[in-house]
Amino acid sequence: MTATENPPAQQTAQTYRPSTLQRFLPFIIAAVVPFILGSTTGDLNFWWKAVITVVVLVVVARLAWKWTPRGELTHREDMRLWRTPSDRSWAALTMFGLLVLPFILASDFTPPMGFPWATWFAVVNLVLIFAMGAAAFNLLVGYSGQISLAHVAFLALGSIVGGVVGVQWSGGNMWYALPAAALAGAVVGAISGLPALRLKHLYLLLATFGFHFVMMLVWREYLQEYFGFVGIRFKGENSPRIASWLHWLPGIDPDQNGEFVITGQFRWYWVLMPITVLSILFMVNVVRTREGRAFAAVRDRDVSASLLGINVARSKLFAFALSSAIVSMSGVLASFYIGSRGEDSFNVQTVLNYAIIIVVGGFSSIQGAIFGSAFFWFLPEWFKWAREELWFVRDIDFLSDYPSEIDLAIKGFLVVIILMFKPDGLAGMWRDFKNWLGRTLARSNP
Amino acid sequence: MSDAILTFDDVTVQFGGVRACDSISGRVDRGSLFALIGPNGAGKTTLVNAISGVYKPLPGAQVQFHPEGGPPEDLLAYRPFQIARLGVARTFQNLGLFMGENVLTNLLLGRYIHEHTRLIEGGLFTRRAVKRELAARQAIERVVELLDLGAFRRDSVGDLPYGVQKRIEFGRVLAMEPELLMLDEPMAGMSVDEKQDMIRYIYSAQDELGMTVFLIEHDMGVVMSIADHVMVLDFGQKIAEGTPAEMQQDERVIAAYLGTEMAEN
Repeated sequence: MTATENPPAQQTAQTYRPSTLQRFLPFIIAAVVPFILGSTTGDLNFWWKAVITVVVLVVVARLAWKWTPRGELTHREDMRLWRTPSDRSWAALTMFGLLVLPFILASDFTPPMGFPWATWFAVVNLVLIFAMGAAAFNLLVGYSGQISLAHVAFLALGSIVGGVVGVQWSGGNMWYALPAAALAGAVVGAISGLPALRLKHLYLLLATFGFHFVMMLVWREYLQEYFGFVGIRFKGENSPRIASWLHWLPGIDPDQNGEFVITGQFRWYWVLMPITVLSILFMVNVVRTREGRAFAAVRDRDVSASLLGINVARSKLFAFALSSAIVSMSGVLASFYIGSRGEDSFNVQTVLNYAIIIVVGGFSSIQGAIFGSAFFWFLPEWFKWAREELWFVRDIDFLSDYPSEIDLAIKGFLVVIILMFKPDGLAGMWRDFKNWLGRTLARSNP
Repeated sequence: MSDAILTFDDVTVQFGGVRACDSISGRVDRGSLFALIGPNGAGKTTLVNAISGVYKPLPGAQVQFHPEGGPPEDLLAYRPFQIARLGVARTFQNLGLFMGENVLTNLLLGRYIHEHTRLIEGGLFTRRAVKRELAARQAIERVVELLDLGAFRRDSVGDLPYGVQKRIEFGRVLAMEPELLMLDEPMAGMSVDEKQDMIRYIYSAQDELGMTVFLIEHDMGVVMSIADHVMVLDFGQKIAEGTPAEMQQDERVIAAYLGTEMAEN
């Protein structure tokens, strides 16, 4: 069935090649249908749309599964990111889900039992920002094996660059701040990686943690110098706008006062989602090509890596630079999305939060960062909902008296559970689930 | 057979008070199969480590590599990754594989010095990056076929049996297409059948791919049957050097090597 299991008997069973149209059709459907559903207002009610969504979901998954090259694969086919039927199915589903999600969350539908639909949109956007940063952090810590605690320093660097380039120089132009932050992040990241050439493990962790405090000092000085203790305002007159060359696109409409300000969850989603998806795809591509393989080699055995011709020092610095560049970009996005950054926006707790995200999500897997940040943001929301709505939880005063402490305790408990029983985290569980599903499907229709 | 590919002179490696290698000199002829033998702790691996740049020998040592059609290079002036790029590849006695990665990734890492995809190109997956990736895969396909690794392509290396792992590591250095191939006990811990296979692979690396092989081996029988030239170490000293037939007659070799083995039995 899937090439990951690679049974020789089935590999040569039948050769099948879909046409180019067949290869892309499921993805085209997945891309187009959400927008059609989203733009038809009034005449179709929510439940009809829900039925259509589910039908399209099944059709897209089935077609992507069916129209997958089978048999002896060429190198080009073998190299594709989505190679097996199950990969292609999930990719099409994910694409459809990401595109249809904002329309669902923006609809005026109210789920039963006061499930907080509207607040979840904000959570989804935060998940996107955190997934990007955590994936980059995981690329460094999990995939390249350079234990670092400096990522929050780079979120702060992103805010500084956002403040300098995005607010002070251009009055709210996030589009200049993003590449500037990537550049600054890469340069400063490479410098912060210098201790990695001499130190390893716990010692490197301490050195990078030191870098965190240096950056916090810079951040505080910068705030005091230009903004005072209130912090930087990234909203209001400083909020980002949609570039003028995109105004012709359907669905991009001016506000009442004729401006194209990126505000509200729906608009932000369309900014954050593509950037996050593209940056994660970038990292996935790095990991599966030459330099990314070198990262893994340096992580596992640096002596062996150097004898393969890999310049270990250069490779480590590249890992730091790449990771920091993307974390800085996510710092810019977070600043503009959240709207203000003050002195206490970055603290040791944030450092730990990212660590929780990648440990729960799954070490050394970029996918894990996505699961981890979803876990991190959804769980408290779900607890909050449970405390307010579920009858058997609502009556326990203790839970509503100490909400944040209990959230933290449950989170900590789950981290311990995951570390003990499932060291590869949610990403590992997801892999197991996919394998189980593949086996079940293969058994039911051979 | 006359010109040398590697000459080393007065190589001494010292760990504290122990001289693991004591002023060892020698030369490896281009295209030959050079074998380095000796009992446990004789300093064989240390010598290879000194040549490949992992250990620094004491001052006064000379290690020169003569690449095909180029000026001789002083290997002691280079760092290990630069030595690998010059065309000297080696394997490890206790495996230098990346156990968490799959066979394909491990073999593709052998192509690292021949691919030239930059980080950003790889991330954007540009046409050029794809082309280079394809070229690398085609190059390792030859190795996969030669070593019969096709069935394991996507398996994690750590899950495979030891004999296969040894073959993968050998495949990875073949993929580097070095001029000088240094194999550190490639047959250690293998069954007789696997040893036979490995001997065949080493032969084809030497004959068909035109590599010079520098072989460290523990098993005297294997060495005597395949080597062109043998050097024997004992306690960090070179005790004899010559053809396999000469070595079998040499008193010191028998005393140091075969003698101890007999005594053990």
